[in-house]
Amino acid sequence: MKKTKALVALVLASAMVFGLVGCGDNASAPANNNTAAASNTSAGTEATAASDLNVMLETPVESLDPQQATDGTSFEVIANYTDGLMQMDADGKAVNAICDHYELSEDGLTYTFYLRDDANWSNGTPVTAADFVFAWQRAVDPAVASEYSYMMSDIGQIKNAAEIIAGEKDKSELGATAIDEKTLQVELNVPVSYFLSLLYFPTYYPVNEEFFNSCGDTFGTSPETVLSNGAFVLDSYEPAATAFHLTKNENYYDADRVKLSGLNYQVIQDSQQALMSYQTGALDTTLVNGEQVDQVKDDPEFMAIGAGYLWYVSPNIAGVPELANQNIRMAMTMAINRDAICEDVLKDGSAPTYTAVPPQFATGPDGSDFSADQTKFSDVCAYDAAKAAEYWSTGLSELGITEITLDMIVDADDAPQKVAQVLKEQWETTLPGLTVNLVVEPKKQRVEDMQNGDFEVALTRWGPDYADPMTYLGMWITNNSNNYGFWSNAEYDAIIAECTTGALCTDAEGRWTRLYDAEKLVMDEAVIFPLYTQCNAEMLSSKVTGMQFHPVALNRVYKDAVKAE
Amino acid sequence: MKKYIFKRILTSVFTLLAILLVLFVLMQLMPGSPFNDEKLNEDQVQALYAKYGLDQPIVVQFFKYVGNMLQGDLGVSYKISKNTPISQLIQTRLPISIRIGGCAVAIGALAGLLLGLVAALKHDTIIDSLATVISVIGVSVPSYVFALALSYTFGFKLGWFPMLFSQKDIFGSSILPSVSLSMFTMASIARFTRSEMLEVLGSDYMLLAESKGISGPALIFRHALRNALIPIITVLAPLIVDLMTGSLVVEKIFAIPGVGSLLVNAIQSNDYNVVISLSFIYSAMYIGIMLVVDILYGIIDPRIRLAKKGD
Repeated sequence: MKKTKALVALVLASAMVFGLVGCGDNASAPANNNTAAASNTSAGTEATAASDLNVMLETPVESLDPQQATDGTSFEVIANYTDGLMQMDADGKAVNAICDHYELSEDGLTYTFYLRDDANWSNGTPVTAADFVFAWQRAVDPAVASEYSYMMSDIGQIKNAAEIIAGEKDKSELGATAIDEKTLQVELNVPVSYFLSLLYFPTYYPVNEEFFNSCGDTFGTSPETVLSNGAFVLDSYEPAATAFHLTKNENYYDADRVKLSGLNYQVIQDSQQALMSYQTGALDTTLVNGEQVDQVKDDPEFMAIGAGYLWYVSPNIAGVPELANQNIRMAMTMAINRDAICEDVLKDGSAPTYTAVPPQFATGPDGSDFSADQTKFSDVCAYDAAKAAEYWSTGLSELGITEITLDMIVDADDAPQKVAQVLKEQWETTLPGLTVNLVVEPKKQRVEDMQNGDFEVALTRWGPDYADPMTYLGMWITNNSNNYGFWSNAEYDAIIAECTTGALCTDAEGRWTRLYDAEKLVMDEAVIFPLYTQCNAEMLSSKVTGMQFHPVALNRVYKDAVKAE
Repeated sequence: MKKYIFKRILTSVFTLLAILLVLFVLMQLMPGSPFNDEKLNEDQVQALYAKYGLDQPIVVQFFKYVGNMLQGDLGVSYKISKNTPISQLIQTRLPISIRIGGCAVAIGALAGLLLGLVAALKHDTIIDSLATVISVIGVSVPSYVFALALSYTFGFKLGWFPMLFSQKDIFGSSILPSVSLSMFTMASIARFTRSEMLEVLGSDYMLLAESKGISGPALIFRHALRNALIPIITVLAPLIVDLMTGSLVVEKIFAIPGVGSLLVNAIQSNDYNVVISLSFIYSAMYIGIMLVVDILYGIIDPRIRLAKKGD
């Protein structure tokens, strides 16, 4: 009896170990594993073609539907296999892609795009104007609820876009019409000086209606349910994949230009694993975590690449009486030593920033960077402990108090917390009577608190959506949902209105000058305390040349990339 | 016995429903929503809420969700893989997680048995102490520390194994994650086996077997180990469950496209349906394993069964 029981137990035990798990071969030969895997080449290398570029991603792709995607990773991948009307050149300027040439009406309201004849989808059908109309209508269709629909309405100012999003008009009334198979006419509400640069943004990419409908609900979830008209073709992918691959598109109209045989993407969420994979040669490019920078910063393959994000402190001007006092705000922004934050804390190449619009993404009519001159507002925000203390005591006596305690909300991520620590220290040292308490929150909570005005001071960031200063300056108009401090200035609102929908729409230079005036108001009144423009620390193999990095829209472009053997 | 099993299954079903309700409430308490991105304005957030039915009262949402789930519809992802049905997301991932978890149990159980056995046989020697030290380390060091250490040593320095999961070399690239996950199981089993073996070895029937002239492997394996194994099954089950939690971090480290890494990403982006579905699957697995163990107890040890009958 006892024997039977013991036998049952043994059988059950082995069933649990082998049967349930279905990996008998692996388990029965654990001792052989060493030799079996030792013949494998070094860590993680996959048998890919020699000139495949091995690229690390920090996060998986969220969506391959160009009208649903919102994150940089998805945009980058979609743009690898899809061309819009325009594409980015090395400087981020819009140059023709599917568009062969275009005309702009004299009033600046009607664009007519003539599509190139040799652009085809990977199933052989030509890319037509109807593909753009279909895609753009999807972007504003309330049933699709695209998060980036505002790229069509508020930013692109396409006729009727806003009304369609609000459900007041049918999507067929969108101001984008296919005149014939290869001619697309776009009507705008007002002239938009940066309209062409929106066209390389994936929300504006075409989708073939017939193919989309044939996919049912599965569009964009596998290589079979996407169509390529771009430099590469997706050949392995599943939703939220940790590894996937694209191959050069031999039928691409510009195929001669593409030198890589393919792109091999690997999502790695652990920074140590990523750097080690890079060092073994399994990756050609990878992001480097702030703490690893010291370890690699002397490596010639190390680079700091502008990520576009402006990090800034937002004081709640309407919600905290002390912060409504302009002298207090001036004192706080002048007490910040931005150089120290970048050089001693971040160390990843992030640049101290003294403007409300960060440098290196918006180029003006004369070809110069909107914020190249970082000294123009130095009298109102450059680090000056003595002047800060002076403003501080004036502010305090105006308020009739001697000390202020402020809570600052900060994201629970590594870098913001470190920066916040230094800010607290700098403020408390320079401004007597100021106590700053740091409140660390998950990012989602921080955003929610800021949107509800439920904060005193917050450390936040903003990345540009398009290559125009308005992507920043548009935030501080009265009642904008990103005007967290609820600052309101009639003069400022008037300037912004003038530049978006008013008289200056067609006057590029005049508009540019007025945008400077608007920025000056923000800085003079210390509406925000700009801190630094974020850089991403990256490693890029010396074998790779021609890869483009951009702070807006498409972060990495591979069309001209070359990988030496 | 039948009545007992029926009762247990019924309790499990109710427990799962209760878990679902708790998960639902917890989701509501999570800070933020999948759509409170700073780039979205109020109208867009409302449009998205309406699209996914999140604007309805929570009670309606709950019953709708349970109703859909009973029909096998787990909903779609809101964020980490937009609009993809969760069943599709899980389909390819669950087998990978189960495979790696299973290998970890297998490696851990075998290595643990061996280690415990040797320790018991070489009782009070340097080997025994060494086995104890290994067990203590295995129990106390979290699996992700092993993961990083193994990856650094065997993946980076020595280059023996791939550091990242790869579909092209599933076998080779599963080794490091399986081993890191197996450490806790190994250590627990080793400690347990050692003490059970010592007890069995000191028992009267072992003395009898020895006096009958049985010796060597036959004595150890047929008589001693077999009896020591019975209680070990009972600890193995909870250990399998421990593996599931360990896999969350280890999958992330080795870039394994399993359900663990998916759950972590989903939690970070408030992807309600994914979090609920996966947590629910984890709970169901947990309860399922516990149920199997309880029933096995009854089969292995009639005293439990009889006691229930007596009630």
